[in-house]
Amino acid sequence: MSEGHWIVNTVIAGHPMAFNMDTLLTMWAAMAFLIVVAFVVTRKLSIFPGKLQYVIEGLLGYFDGLIKSMINKDGEKHFPLIASLFLFIVTANLMGQLPLKMLELKHGEFASPTNDINMTAGLAVIVLVYYVTAGLIKKKGKFLLHEFSFVGIISMLVEILELFTRPLTLALRLFGNILAGEILIGALLGICAWGLPLPIMFFEILVACVQALVFTMLTTVYIASAVNEEH
Amino acid sequence: MEEVKTISDLAQLGAGIAMGFGAVGAGLGIGIATKGLLESIARQPEIAGKAVGFFLVGAALAEACAIYALVIAMKLSGMMG
Repeated sequence: MSEGHWIVNTVIAGHPMAFNMDTLLTMWAAMAFLIVVAFVVTRKLSIFPGKLQYVIEGLLGYFDGLIKSMINKDGEKHFPLIASLFLFIVTANLMGQLPLKMLELKHGEFASPTNDINMTAGLAVIVLVYYVTAGLIKKKGKFLLHEFSFVGIISMLVEILELFTRPLTLALRLFGNILAGEILIGALLGICAWGLPLPIMFFEILVACVQALVFTMLTTVYIASAVNEEH
Repeated sequence: MEEVKTISDLAQLGAGIAMGFGAVGAGLGIGIATKGLLESIARQPEIAGKAVGFFLVGAALAEACAIYALVIAMKLSGMMG
């Protein structure tokens, strides 16, 4: 749960800093898992794919189609960010269903790294910086600017407001969904620990995949809205 | 019944109210989304697989409103730092 983070306070170069060590360690575990999977899958690539290559190719091919249909034909340069965001978030979410709580810590417990708002806010800021940069590169000075009229000025103001609300909702949605699932499982554990939380745990597997997909699709939509020309 | 003493007691009440009203919107949203899904499947049964995918994403977006309320409620009741 959120209040139970294993926080380590240090001072780096004169600045006091607090690290949530449980989030950090589980995040590194997810990253290491993805690096190992990527290494293993790309060793023996062949035209007739094996089982693992088939699964990964199908998954990445889905995002390839998504990007081509949502952004445009040369939207493929955004593929690395979008696909790795999905792979990382789905790995991180599903990690919460592993029996990590059997590892004893002094404070807090190991859980899904996305139940820490710092982590999801970091991901959302990455998306914000990326799509603003992509829009600025594509449209130069015309990013956020519309025609000079009443509607154009209003829509520019709305888009400036969206620069704040988009990362906020991205971060809160992922964080809240994962944390709400853990709180729900905890509450049901308190009622009857024998089998009652089990259906919710299955549901959380679905929620983990759907939330990763929602985060990725919204990222794609934001990049598309920044890059594509208006009609 | 005990008298309400501090502001944090009222914050607990506010957390409950926030979560309740937040859940109304999400419930209505998911209900309308399900209605749309069923109508489209009844009209075109062959589209069911594709429609369910969009429905899940839309339902997750509608559910997120309740999740925002949950975050606010947790903030009010002091479960988050």
